Amino acid sequence: MSKVGRWIDERTGLGGPVRSFLNYAVPGYVHKNALYMLGGLTLIIFALQAFTGILLAFFYDPSTEGAYNSVDFITYTLPLGWLIRGIHHYGASAMVILTALHMLRTYFFSAYKKPREINWLTGVLLLFLTLAFGFTGYLLPWDQKGYWATNVGTRIAGSVPLIGDALMQLMRGGANLGQATLTRFFATHVLLLPATLALLIAVHIFQLRYHGMSPAITEKGKKEGGKFVPFFPYWVVNDAIAGLGMLAILIFLSATQRAPLEFPADPASSNFVPRPEWYFLFYYQMLKYFPGGLEPVATVLIPLFIFGSMVLLPFIDKGEERRPWKKPVTTIAAVFYIVVIVVFTALAL
Amino acid sequence: MSQSELAPLDPAKGVWDEHELTRRKFLEITFWSVTSVVTVGLLGAGSRFIAGNSFEPSTTSWVTLGPVAELTAGEVHRVNYSFKAKDAWRMVEQKGALYTFSDDAGATYTVLDGTCTHLGCIVQWQGGDNNYQCPCHQAVFTREGKVVSGPPPRPLRKLDAKIQDGILMAQI
Repeated sequence: MSKVGRWIDERTGLGGPVRSFLNYAVPGYVHKNALYMLGGLTLIIFALQAFTGILLAFFYDPSTEGAYNSVDFITYTLPLGWLIRGIHHYGASAMVILTALHMLRTYFFSAYKKPREINWLTGVLLLFLTLAFGFTGYLLPWDQKGYWATNVGTRIAGSVPLIGDALMQLMRGGANLGQATLTRFFATHVLLLPATLALLIAVHIFQLRYHGMSPAITEKGKKEGGKFVPFFPYWVVNDAIAGLGMLAILIFLSATQRAPLEFPADPASSNFVPRPEWYFLFYYQMLKYFPGGLEPVATVLIPLFIFGSMVLLPFIDKGEERRPWKKPVTTIAAVFYIVVIVVFTALAL
Repeated sequence: MSQSELAPLDPAKGVWDEHELTRRKFLEITFWSVTSVVTVGLLGAGSRFIAGNSFEPSTTSWVTLGPVAELTAGEVHRVNYSFKAKDAWRMVEQKGALYTFSDDAGATYTVLDGTCTHLGCIVQWQGGDNNYQCPCHQAVFTREGKVVSGPPPRPLRKLDAKIQDGILMAQI
């Protein structure tokens, strides 16, 4: 340890914990499989969202009079505003994609099984929090898209039997969409969600370290399981390089296609067709199949069923088998969901 | 942080991959290079973004102070002004206070910015003492804006003024 390092260690006692964190033994089958980079990449994109989000907060004006103009100012007037907002805008999509892929990896490798149930549950919550980030975030520019998507989104909550109206008014901070809605979406997006997400990520990572990586599912992986490399630099270097690649993609997208900003929110417009962000399109499409009295099926029962089955998964699938090709029920269920989401998204495009 | 000595693993668990460990230094350098480039890039872009238009000079504008007929020559008048201006992404009513007087029977007017040159409080005209006093740190300026006592480093700012169709205007 360097002289400076020793000086700090003598005063903080951090040397030991940091060294054991960095020298954590990672099995060969993990270090050699790119699919295990997805969790780290999700963490990197969250850090990038936090960074660009803090920067945007230096100029964003959370008022119905100022929000649109401040986002317009950020995007078209401020030096590098197109870049910072672009990374944040496209980064939101990247975070949804990476969270979903990371979860699919965990699912197909049966990494949710005992004793890792709590880690799966925190992961499920993190996925839903990520979607909540998206939902609260795109109202903030107070443009037509955000305004109308939030109008529809809060009405969906309003269709829940018995408590719907109360739920909708709580989300809106009143009967109608307005300043109270914008302020609470802003507070949720920049204070409540980041704090909750950061806390859950800490629990998630602590759980990962506590239980270690889930066992290899292939024979080849099991053979590599006896040999280890230290977490730093072996695993982090892969994620760092992948993170750099991801950042390059986000910069490229921001430069070639400005983050969209539609016309200012107009509650009186009748020719605007509200459409949510692409990651909610499958749900938007599904609602079309449940008209009238059937609506609560799509707004309550199906979401509850999906969330409930995700929560219960590790308590239902308790067998020893971890290979997806030997577990037709869970594999077919996942493939079914993926196909439905892809088809419905395509239909809605 | 580099730690070349790795504690041996529990034999029941496995062993360090000695072949892989030969690449350790190279991977550490790669990691720090990538991380440094990204960190410097992000912090640079972020700093430029936060600086925004902070260093752009403020724009000047001619404001109306009122008809000279109402500004009796020889007396010091406090006049408030307001005009529409762009403030970042908003159009706002920009307001301020000025002092004005004429020593040549209303042919020309002297217009002083009432902002104290010490720390920016608004000075008060004291007719009895024939001077401006700042309530914050007891600075005193003469009727013409020169520092008499107190901490201000400069006299009160004198603005360009003109009379147009009987209306006094000043450039702020």
